[in-house]
Amino acid sequence: MSLTDTSARRAPAARLALPPWARFLLGRLGQAFLVMALVVIGNFVIMQMAPGDLVTVIAGGADMTQEQMADLRARFGLDLPLLVQFWNYVAQLLTFDLGYSYRMNAPVWEVLSARLPTTAALVVLSLLFSVTIGTVMGVVSARRAGTLTDMGINAVALVLYAAPSFVVAMLLVLVFSVKLGWFPIAGLTTVSAGYTGWALVKDMAAHLVMPVTALCTFYVAIYARLARSTMLEVMDQDYVRTARAKGLSETRVIYVHTLRNALLPIVTMAGLQVSTVLGGAVVVETVFGLPGMARTAYDAVFQRDTTMLLGVMFVSSLAIVIVNLAVDLLYTVLDPRVSLK
Amino acid sequence: MKPPSQIRRFLRHPSGAVGLALLLFFVAMALAAPYLFPQGPYKMVARPMLWPGQNPDLLLGTDSLGRDLLVSVVYGARVSLLVGLSAALASAIVGAAVGLVSGYFGGWIGDMLMRITDAFQTLPSFLAAILIVGLIGPSIGTIVTSIALVSWPMVARLVRAEVLRIKTLDFVQACRIMGMPDWRIMLAEILPNSLGPIIVATSLLVANAIIIESGLSFLGLGDPNMMSWGGVIGNGRSALRMAWYITMIPAGAVVLTVLALNLIGDALNDVLNPRLRKG
Amino acid sequence: MSPLKPNRRQILAGLAASVAIPALPPLARAQGSATLTVATGPVPVYLNAALSTGGGEAAVSGKMMDGLLTYGEGMSPEPQLAESWEVSEDGLTVTFKLRPGVMWHDGEPFTSEDVRFSVMEVLKVFHGRGRATFANVTEIETPDELTAVFKLTKPAPAMMSALNAQESPMLPAHVYVGTDIQQNPANLSPIGTGPYKFVSYAPGETLVMERNPDYWDEGKPLIDQLIFRYISDGSTRAAMLETGEADLVGSSQLPTIEILRFQSLDGFEVNGAGYEHTPSIHLCDFNLRRPQWQDKRVRQALNFAIDNKWVAENVWFGLASPGTGPLHVQQKAFYTTEGVPNYDIDLEKAEALLDEAGYPRGEDGWRFSMVIDAVQYGEEPPRAAEYMREQFREIGINAEARVNDFAAYVKRVYTDHDFDLTSYTASAGADPAIGVQRFYWSKNIKDGVPFSNGSGYASDEADALLEAAAIETDLEKRKQLYADFQAVAMEDVPVIQLVYDAKKTITSTNVKDYVQGALSFFGNFADVHKDA
Repeated sequence: MSLTDTSARRAPAARLALPPWARFLLGRLGQAFLVMALVVIGNFVIMQMAPGDLVTVIAGGADMTQEQMADLRARFGLDLPLLVQFWNYVAQLLTFDLGYSYRMNAPVWEVLSARLPTTAALVVLSLLFSVTIGTVMGVVSARRAGTLTDMGINAVALVLYAAPSFVVAMLLVLVFSVKLGWFPIAGLTTVSAGYTGWALVKDMAAHLVMPVTALCTFYVAIYARLARSTMLEVMDQDYVRTARAKGLSETRVIYVHTLRNALLPIVTMAGLQVSTVLGGAVVVETVFGLPGMARTAYDAVFQRDTTMLLGVMFVSSLAIVIVNLAVDLLYTVLDPRVSLK
Repeated sequence: MKPPSQIRRFLRHPSGAVGLALLLFFVAMALAAPYLFPQGPYKMVARPMLWPGQNPDLLLGTDSLGRDLLVSVVYGARVSLLVGLSAALASAIVGAAVGLVSGYFGGWIGDMLMRITDAFQTLPSFLAAILIVGLIGPSIGTIVTSIALVSWPMVARLVRAEVLRIKTLDFVQACRIMGMPDWRIMLAEILPNSLGPIIVATSLLVANAIIIESGLSFLGLGDPNMMSWGGVIGNGRSALRMAWYITMIPAGAVVLTVLALNLIGDALNDVLNPRLRKG
Repeated sequence: MSPLKPNRRQILAGLAASVAIPALPPLARAQGSATLTVATGPVPVYLNAALSTGGGEAAVSGKMMDGLLTYGEGMSPEPQLAESWEVSEDGLTVTFKLRPGVMWHDGEPFTSEDVRFSVMEVLKVFHGRGRATFANVTEIETPDELTAVFKLTKPAPAMMSALNAQESPMLPAHVYVGTDIQQNPANLSPIGTGPYKFVSYAPGETLVMERNPDYWDEGKPLIDQLIFRYISDGSTRAAMLETGEADLVGSSQLPTIEILRFQSLDGFEVNGAGYEHTPSIHLCDFNLRRPQWQDKRVRQALNFAIDNKWVAENVWFGLASPGTGPLHVQQKAFYTTEGVPNYDIDLEKAEALLDEAGYPRGEDGWRFSMVIDAVQYGEEPPRAAEYMREQFREIGINAEARVNDFAAYVKRVYTDHDFDLTSYTASAGADPAIGVQRFYWSKNIKDGVPFSNGSGYASDEADALLEAAAIETDLEKRKQLYADFQAVAMEDVPVIQLVYDAKKTITSTNVKDYVQGALSFFGNFADVHKDA
């Protein structure tokens, strides 16, 4: 895609006399801080605009009196001035405490730590598969540019690129669960079977095939298109022609000289995918009944469970910032011309 | 710039022509809906879950409440296109403004704006949209706002890169020397010259907005007074085993519309951005 | 609907069907026969129902806690922790003789002090309905360890319908006395006298309970392990039930269309028995604070525009019956249609009433505009709102529908009073004084309190009838008072009753005996077992 511009993500040269790595790290920390600030402030603002609060939700299911509701508000600290609530939350965060969810009656981290692995597995697996499959499709397509294979791959990519993850998820459920009965529809494991060891791994894999596929397809298309266009671009450049002229084998040219460079935009895209795929995870966790973090956020919206919601946003933004950091580091490995500046 | 020749090139572009034809089909559907079916999409017309063709008057059958699926699909085009266009336009305007200012002035203003853009881009976007619509309440307004809020950073970056390039060109320097005010240079000189990428980006933004809207409706966060494809899919989910056509027909409509917009985007890209004409 | 009694052939067919599901390993059923897994919806805040009347609390409470009483068919009181009881002639003294030899899960004996503490210091203070239920109880005397004497200022016949473990569970005084009751750790790792002992709880995920070997009802329970799995999505619960991941889903916690599917699916049973204690009604409150709704002819007109039978058949797919009045049809002792104004659909009459009330159709064909506010709690309230919108348009009212999530709904209706007509489902209670009175009694117009009198209806006539019925100890007189009230409520129509919900329990056919009299899903599951 021509829309991701890679130059902008490099930090501008700072004026302080610090070693490059320190400046890089400081810049990144600054960015992380800004993102977190945006998340926390944004959440507080939107939560204020939302009609009703956690106590209305709890009271609605519990036939409470006005006095009981006021008591609860005081207990949860919802009666304090907004700025005080905000400061209390930030002060808590600074001690690495994500707070307490009064709706779940449990610490936020206790709930999230149980659900994070599922979402992490979804994100990591979908990232791995989409990058690999997409890149292979793109490379094959570029090598056979103009042939039927190329056109076929392009057509597949176009369709996948147009199909939202929930559409793919429903289609998979319909075909592979309802009609063919190949994969289980819901959950992460067959709890009643009490599998352990290798059998458990196999069971979980069977449960994850469809969710991961549903999350992948859109990105497979992106990587295929990206890999194809950058490969074509790079293959046209002087050093590749030189390599060819030197009589190096085509395979060597493709995989050593071309692909390495073509990987740069793919790595950038992978960084972006982490932040967008989390949204897809909400839908996929819903359709496949996976006990994940993204679905927790969706439920928390309706429960007005502010601390839980902030917790999910905080943890996922943190993950995204860390991934971006990793992407930057990967850049320096892939492209010797880029250094940490 | 010679628009007529570009339009001709666009129309001769195979994906441009196909995409445009498909899109026009859906646009026509959206515009004609109230004339074709003045009774609206919520009328319950027959037994629930009639398969397509079971009743010759109901071409696509009925949904799980006995509403005509054809009418739902036709009205759904209105919501998708309306939300898609307005959200894309809003994010293009905000994004272009931020990109223009930060690229043109640079310095700490530009830096700060870009940091903020970065931060917005780091947010898990669909999750943020769910949060906004879920908390403030589902209506066309909140849906469009939430989509715009998570999509503008992409345009901002793109425009900024364009501005940084154009700003160094001779004619801009000349305007400066002539003493033209900054805002005129930005609006009259730089903006028109960076329209190409903005238009391409907007066509993809429309597609993206349609995907987000349908996803929100699928999760039950659609506007309850507007029949949306995502909503029909979401409602049909529990009937998937008995009547899969209820989900798959509107799903096909979503895919085709997004496909049309992507094809148009590809063609526009080839025509308007000759520098990037590979791929 | 009567419970489906499966015959041998159906069971065999059911087994065959379950073997045919590929995800299910053949061993699973045999292995797990001593474990019952329930897939359920709302996550509880506490694990006992003494502190909250939420649905999540109600579902788990009775498994680990006991109440003084339980209820048989027709809501007849039966002994649980109380072996016998006696109501004095004037209704002002109720004496309970407690079951001897009952032990808390931690080995301490259960005594009358636990009863006094639970009612006076917990239920009367923290339980939403408990304040009203025990309002007239001023003192509980404990002459000996096995006798508890309730002293009342006025008779409270409804109290006798609210003493089971789901509504008024007994808590161990020795664990709670002197602590912050709402923060006591036992709220999340309960110590009860019930058939199941608490094992572990992962918040919002899984609650594991095991058989209480020392349960006073010897030989029970029959299941070794009881697991509640919290799944927020109804379609997922359905899938779990179908693949054998779960054995039971209660209280209609599945999408309606899935319940219908299970009804016709071999190997599964859909059973409507055991919800007498928790009947729920779909209600639409008019906002009587707005001038156009103050004229009862307008309210009657709208009621005439709705075909309740159609709604029950098509929005609830037959899993409900048409509403005819403020009491639920399952409140058999008091429900009546005799002498109660009837609102069978009649669009002409509706239009005539509106003309008469001074709202003729304008140039554009509309009489006036309105918004129907539905709560997003299940699929039905929004769909019912969509149906009403179309019907009201037929009679010249320019109606719109709006969907509010739960918190937004409560704020809009009970705090801001910013609505015309609502669409929501609520419990009618074990007794009309508990569940029905709250919607029509003018003293229950309370800002910000969910499911209070939201319409703002204030009628001296209705108030007098409701107040008299609440303390009437003579059953026949009480019936007459409620019959009069039903007639008044339907003449005034501050609230439209769309349908009476018929809640269902959905299970694999091998799950047996989960219905105990008036209770099933909300009962104690002491008799439930699985056939291999």
